[in-house]
Amino acid sequence: MWKSDLPKPPIGSFEKCAKCMAQFTVTKYTLAANPPPGWLCHPCAKAGGSDPFKKVGPRKRKAPAGDGSGRRVVVYFEERKFPSLVSLCIDLIGACIDDVEALGDIGNVNMDEIAKTISKSRLLTAQNAPLFYDVQNARLSLYDVTKLEPPALIALSNLNPNLTELRLDYCGRTTDEVLAHWETALPNLKRLELLGPFLVKAPAWQSFFRAHPSLEGFLITQSPRFDLDCMCALVESCKNLQELRLVEIGLMQDSFLEPLHNLAGTLSSLSLASPGSTMNIDPLSEDALIKLIAAVGPGLTHLDLSYNADIGDQFLFKGLKPHTRKLKSLRLEHCLELTNAGVAEFFDAWVTTAQKAGVEPNPPLERINLSRNHGLGSDALIALLEHSGPGLTHLNINEWKAASQDSLQTIAERAPNLHTLDIGFCREADDSVIKALLDSCQTLSEVKVWGCQRLTVACPRKRGVNIIGVEAGQLVQS
Amino acid sequence: MVEEHAEGNAAPATSENDWVRLISNDGYTFLIRRKVAMNSGTLKNMLNEESNFAEAATNTCMISERGIIVEKLCEYLSYKALYQNSPQKETPEFQERLQPEIALDLLMAADYYEDPTES
Repeated sequence: MWKSDLPKPPIGSFEKCAKCMAQFTVTKYTLAANPPPGWLCHPCAKAGGSDPFKKVGPRKRKAPAGDGSGRRVVVYFEERKFPSLVSLCIDLIGACIDDVEALGDIGNVNMDEIAKTISKSRLLTAQNAPLFYDVQNARLSLYDVTKLEPPALIALSNLNPNLTELRLDYCGRTTDEVLAHWETALPNLKRLELLGPFLVKAPAWQSFFRAHPSLEGFLITQSPRFDLDCMCALVESCKNLQELRLVEIGLMQDSFLEPLHNLAGTLSSLSLASPGSTMNIDPLSEDALIKLIAAVGPGLTHLDLSYNADIGDQFLFKGLKPHTRKLKSLRLEHCLELTNAGVAEFFDAWVTTAQKAGVEPNPPLERINLSRNHGLGSDALIALLEHSGPGLTHLNINEWKAASQDSLQTIAERAPNLHTLDIGFCREADDSVIKALLDSCQTLSEVKVWGCQRLTVACPRKRGVNIIGVEAGQLVQS
Repeated sequence: MVEEHAEGNAAPATSENDWVRLISNDGYTFLIRRKVAMNSGTLKNMLNEESNFAEAATNTCMISERGIIVEKLCEYLSYKALYQNSPQKETPEFQERLQPEIALDLLMAADYYEDPTES
């Protein structure tokens, strides 16, 4: 407020005028000299052109942003993006969706690929979705239905009344109303796969199950509302359930597993990965899972219990080893209680245990995903290859950081039928491991090697085999 | 848009203004400026001089799409090269140059060749 840095002398004190040098009494109206320093007497201040009596009122408030109506005006910035050819094509398809003839012969293009492309840029809308609809459709997979609102999801069922398999990803807008409509509109539904149906409440699930007793596959990921009653209703209504996926189910508890025992004999594919939520951490106990496998294990071909923190070696010994008969695919991602020695012992003794018990041993596995178990290493890998090697088509041992170069080298020798392999973050993997793989695995099409720092730019390559994540190569490129 | 069945051999030296050749799977040949082709992330990678791809060595890309699709792709790339830095008001709509008959095929080709994250 003051022009000078010095504080104004107290009112009533004497001060010398900075201009005329005359002594004067400081008042409330005394002004600072301009340029500073000093203070001006009343006549000099007036002569200088400034009005000492000018009111220094309270500072006016800044006018509030807006048009005076009280609401804030939001300023929109539109980042101008050059229209991509993909979006232009999709717009065009949307515009002439009612005139299917105009789109030419649809038969020769792969509609599933189109569905993936449109979903990739999240451009599937109620307007262009009918491109994929047909009264005769028995299967429908849409990969991103974020923009389909409940009426559009209802329309979907009305326009595809003969669906037996339905898969919808990112179906967050599916509500009770939609599911209730599907009860009658999709009478033949046998397999339902949903990613993110978090709005559907428990009563809607139950009534849906009762309406679809012939359901054979029920696969959902992410639901905070699916509860024990839903599980009971599912098991009671759908006696032929073969495929069950309940991944990231917030309310999951040990008690959920008991009804599942009734599915022994029919259930062939089971996934209970990542159960619980932040309020309900690691809810499934190893004991309950062992009991479950004891009941349904003999019929299982696929089992996924990833991210169940309580699973340890006991589960392998008391659950899998004695009870599985025809398992082909096993996923135990991020089960950190598993030990190197335990996993090695499990694979070593799997066959002999069955033979001792006089039962058919489990055949070699085709798909194994034991990734993100950083405690596992060479012993486990060698035993695994010894047991399942020739049958293996897909192997993921990402983050087995202790696996030695020798053990990684044996993959090529023991598992010649591999299609895909992930040895990311296996620190000992080097060029010779890759070379051995390329030499002996003729069906190999993909190897992931993120975080394998010992691979060099000279990492061997081969036509038809994608080697993904060679970091040494990237450094050279940039 | 230049469409010709050119014969001259491709120049080994690369510059913004030299030509690259796109060949459709039914045998049509299209010549476009290198800087136009660079608007496609996939073509850019194919023609990257640091790579060892045959495409880069010969400045020729085989495109497994029909001629009509490759033609429209070239047309779009030229359109993009011409207008991507000009104000929106002066940019004509490309939509009206698209025929619905090829929309689905073009969509698949665009998805592969456009690859906006790369460009």
